[in-house]
Amino acid sequence: MDYALQQLLNALAFGAEYSLVALGLAVVFSIMGLVNFAHGEIIGVSAYSVFLAAALGLTSPIVAVLLAIAAAALAAVAFERVAFRPVRYAPTTTGLLTAFGVSIVVQNLFMLLISPKPQSVSILNGLNQMWFFGPFAVSSLQVMELIVSGLTILALVLFLNRSTLGLAIRAASRDFATVRLMGIRANRVIATAFAISGALAGIAAVFIMARRGSVSPDLGFSLVLKAFVACVIGGFGSLPGAAVGGMLLGFIEVGLLVALPQEYGGFKDALTYVIIVALLVYRPEGLLGQRVELGDKEI
Amino acid sequence: MSQAIEDTTRPNGALARSLVGGLVTSLPVLVGGLLILNFAPTYYTFLALGAFVNLIVVVGLQVFMGNSNIANLGHSAFVGLGAYGVAILSTPLAMKKLSIPNAPFGFATLELDPVSSALLALLAVGILALVSGKVISRLSGVAATIVSLALLIIVHSVFLNWTDLFKGNQAFFGIPKVVGLPWMMAMSVVVIVLARLFKDSHWGLQLRASAQSPQAAAALGIDARRLRLVSWVLSALICGLAGILYAYFAGTISPKLFYFQMIFNTLAMLILGGMATVTGAVTGVIVLSVGLEFIRSIESGVTIAGIQLPQLLGLSGVALGVVIVLCMAFRPSGISGRYELDELLSRFFRRAK
Repeated sequence: MDYALQQLLNALAFGAEYSLVALGLAVVFSIMGLVNFAHGEIIGVSAYSVFLAAALGLTSPIVAVLLAIAAAALAAVAFERVAFRPVRYAPTTTGLLTAFGVSIVVQNLFMLLISPKPQSVSILNGLNQMWFFGPFAVSSLQVMELIVSGLTILALVLFLNRSTLGLAIRAASRDFATVRLMGIRANRVIATAFAISGALAGIAAVFIMARRGSVSPDLGFSLVLKAFVACVIGGFGSLPGAAVGGMLLGFIEVGLLVALPQEYGGFKDALTYVIIVALLVYRPEGLLGQRVELGDKEI
Repeated sequence: MSQAIEDTTRPNGALARSLVGGLVTSLPVLVGGLLILNFAPTYYTFLALGAFVNLIVVVGLQVFMGNSNIANLGHSAFVGLGAYGVAILSTPLAMKKLSIPNAPFGFATLELDPVSSALLALLAVGILALVSGKVISRLSGVAATIVSLALLIIVHSVFLNWTDLFKGNQAFFGIPKVVGLPWMMAMSVVVIVLARLFKDSHWGLQLRASAQSPQAAAALGIDARRLRLVSWVLSALICGLAGILYAYFAGTISPKLFYFQMIFNTLAMLILGGMATVTGAVTGVIVLSVGLEFIRSIESGVTIAGIQLPQLLGLSGVALGVVIVLCMAFRPSGISGRYELDELLSRFFRRAK
């Protein structure tokens, strides 16, 4: 019983993290059709700024968390301004390749300016403890991941449904031209979307650092690959789809970890992707995706 | 002009034209290869062999990306499968006893000649391409790209973890070194001509049309899925051939050669040259191979005017990324643009007349 509960919590925590990152990707994609491969490097910038702040003498974990989120949001907005604005109206493939380029540049800058080797960051280790509830021992980090992700998603839903800018973002994902005709500034909508996406990445960065206790240049890359896959299963550009896809991915991964014998553990990633590709055979547009009218907006 | 119209209406004329076009496009490669073969020191020959492998990979990538306009980020999986295919089939038994003594399916006691190994490896690549292509050709652009990445990760993870067959993270050595520069040049020419023939064939034309306007193409009865599948398999076979040639000249391979680094390099080459044309693929490889070699020499720490610069690891990566970003922002069609080399030349001479 204990074991089953532990694995359930594992799956929920992994799923929550994937959902956070996938939501960040979906917010940006739904508005401007950009497949943001540089999302992992936003996580990277966030983590490295905490690393640098700690090296300069920062000791308060709360400040570090705030710094991580702020740095990620700023990085996302800066990426948009520098690299993605010139290709805003270009075909999807152009934007995708630009983002891929940005990702390579930033990853290699970490290598060039800081170090190719992982650097230790211990400031957030306090988040990762064992909590005891009667007979159960649970990781505080997993509980926090679950709660924080839930709250964040709730806040995002409220923002998108209740505020003017949120409404503008949702409307822009349907028809950007009309939103602009209503007098909403395109740049503001897009910058907000990137800031939200960055903040979500920043929260993910906090959890990654607390778990690993170190930063490395490719810190966010594999996580973002999984988030992309989550987006694809959910239906690319659909926000509920991203959240559901992330959770599903978490459950598939933990399920495989439980089911696979120890010596085949290395095949976990491969099998996860095989299962997902198999899902796509039956639903090419994803679980919650809709068939897009190609005449209006090309995907 | 009337000549051109006449030519395209006759199938044989069109075929001859793209055949000649492909040969013209491969001329710079041939000339470069011959110069290196005759005059360059051994070290440069080795570098050139690597560049030729990249060339074949990039041309293979162009066959799918250039015609379907869908980004493929998984092609080095096919390169890797080709290389490991011949490694497993053609490595001498004495070497296999050292490296993969427990290989399943009797591969541990099997030793084939290089040619039949290559054919079987291509068959394996073709089967994987057909299966993955069935999925990918059904998806819309973005999802197809993500699935191509997933394919790369699946294949890489199998290379790493199926240690009995692929030797895992360690280098697989002892592959017979049977390919030199002449073979590599010949294969490059074949592949360039093949890519050009595909682009100019009715499949290529229809696929390019459906990439530009899916609805109009569908209205004309073009089955875009099937065409995407055809170009995906052809592209994979060319990439697989590149892997086979790599294994046969290097003699030693390891999984990390066929992972993201190769994707970055070849993608940047294709984008810089221009992915719409085969000429673009060739141009990109030539320019970036030379450029990267220069940057690598700085990266390892050089002495300029008596000052020893430190090692700058990551510099070539930054350069590759910057090339991609700048190209996409300012010249998405790359150096060569819309025209092939022979088309540019014939336009130039017609104007000169």
